[in-house]
Amino acid sequence: MTERRGHYNPRYSAGALLKARLAGKRFWHPLWGGRRLQPAYDVAIVGAGGHGLATAFHLARDHGVKRIAVLEKRLVGYGNVGRNTTVVRSNYLLPENHYFYEDSLRRWETLSRDLNYNVMYSPRGVVDVALSDDDMGRLARRGNAMRLAGIDAELMDVAGLNRFCPELAPHRPRRFPIVGALVQRRGGTARHDAVAWGYARAATAHGVDIIENCEVTGVSTAGGQAVGVETTAGYVRADRIVFATAGHTGMIGTLLETPLPIETHLLQAMVSEPIKPLLNTVVVFIFPGHGETYIAQSDRGGLVMGGHLDGFPSYTREGRWDRLEDVVAGAIELFPHIGAVKILRQWAGINDMTMDGSPIMDRVRYNNVFVNAGWCYGGFKAIPASGAAFATFVATGTPPDLIKAYNLARFDAGHTLDESGNGPFPVRQ
Amino acid sequence: MNQLICPFCGPRELHEFEFRKTQENVTSSELAKVYLRVDSLEHSCEYWQHALGCRAWLLIRRNPSTGAVLETTALPGPGAHQ
Repeated sequence: MTERRGHYNPRYSAGALLKARLAGKRFWHPLWGGRRLQPAYDVAIVGAGGHGLATAFHLARDHGVKRIAVLEKRLVGYGNVGRNTTVVRSNYLLPENHYFYEDSLRRWETLSRDLNYNVMYSPRGVVDVALSDDDMGRLARRGNAMRLAGIDAELMDVAGLNRFCPELAPHRPRRFPIVGALVQRRGGTARHDAVAWGYARAATAHGVDIIENCEVTGVSTAGGQAVGVETTAGYVRADRIVFATAGHTGMIGTLLETPLPIETHLLQAMVSEPIKPLLNTVVVFIFPGHGETYIAQSDRGGLVMGGHLDGFPSYTREGRWDRLEDVVAGAIELFPHIGAVKILRQWAGINDMTMDGSPIMDRVRYNNVFVNAGWCYGGFKAIPASGAAFATFVATGTPPDLIKAYNLARFDAGHTLDESGNGPFPVRQ
Repeated sequence: MNQLICPFCGPRELHEFEFRKTQENVTSSELAKVYLRVDSLEHSCEYWQHALGCRAWLLIRRNPSTGAVLETTALPGPGAHQ
């Protein structure tokens, strides 16, 4: 990693640790920040979340764009990159999706090295539990589609699942007996905050200005082109404007006076108090008549859990109590012995749910306004591929093949990428 | 938001109600009606059903930033208890 500006970021290494030991506290610098907003940029990126920071990093590193600003309303990582349940996987059904997410998973495998920052990617496996023969058929179809694309997927019966994940005790008599599972061994988790920090640090080292507490309030135009953004810190000229605002993309549509195929919903998650190692994989469990629970154990020991969307449009970041109860009920159905464990924290993130459940990476209204959005509840795992591909799109003006399908025209053509097959109802995606 | 007030049954727990869809607010074409929405921080107009109660369909205006319910009206038609 080269340093073009400032004195940030000594490269992390054993040698650096040794030097720091001798040099004392002054050896380390803030990872980002301290830059002042300049009057003009080549690219202004709105939103310092995973996708915005990754796009900035790849624009600077791969495409040599010199003047890049990332404008953030609050703080780096305040939004969904710090609110998700950290699962990374590529077990999708549709070809447009599984090729994209597989590209992302391959980037996760080397991300810590690429960023020189430990994102704690842990390929501990993702288990989709089947409770009926119908479930097995559905999972077999998805697994076969993945294997045809060269992605690892294993359909396991109860004995196989017991070998892979004995802590699940799939043989145990239950109200909803487990009949098998689809397992992606390369799926797993990564440390969500480290992803935001790692990209912010790497982008800063490549000369990107990250400006926090700077809300974009408007886009100014001239001659059918966007020419800059109004912010709470003043006006900024920009040749190209990128919106990567996740849950607030609906508001970006309003700001650009262009309706988008997006509805805004809440997804909540929760974490238990830290306990000793109990679960060494990610378990996804959809149980009849109640909902969904996915559960993993963080490296600190907390059981991280999430489930379905709250089920109605909302910007509150609160989360409804009966959904929390559903998720916990599912977790206890899976692991009855965690009934006495206490919930430590519960939170919610605002999701930009699209009408088909697949993302949108396209120009909106103006030729030089790019929107990277619609990641629904699955944006975290997409960050590395999204950043690289979207940077190519913004730099060259042509979307790479990997993200061509994620255009807005698909809704006009009726060629939606409806992964779950539920129709234009974001709440059911 | 933990309760909604059904015009027929009075205040009931949120889990009795099912959100169905947002009201179409873009009418430039039939496809736009299906797929496109104008988002607002203060105002959301939604079809709900009192699914685990009287089964009436409701049109509810809410503030999605606070969860406050601004107006609840029962939709006419078959199934409405009028």
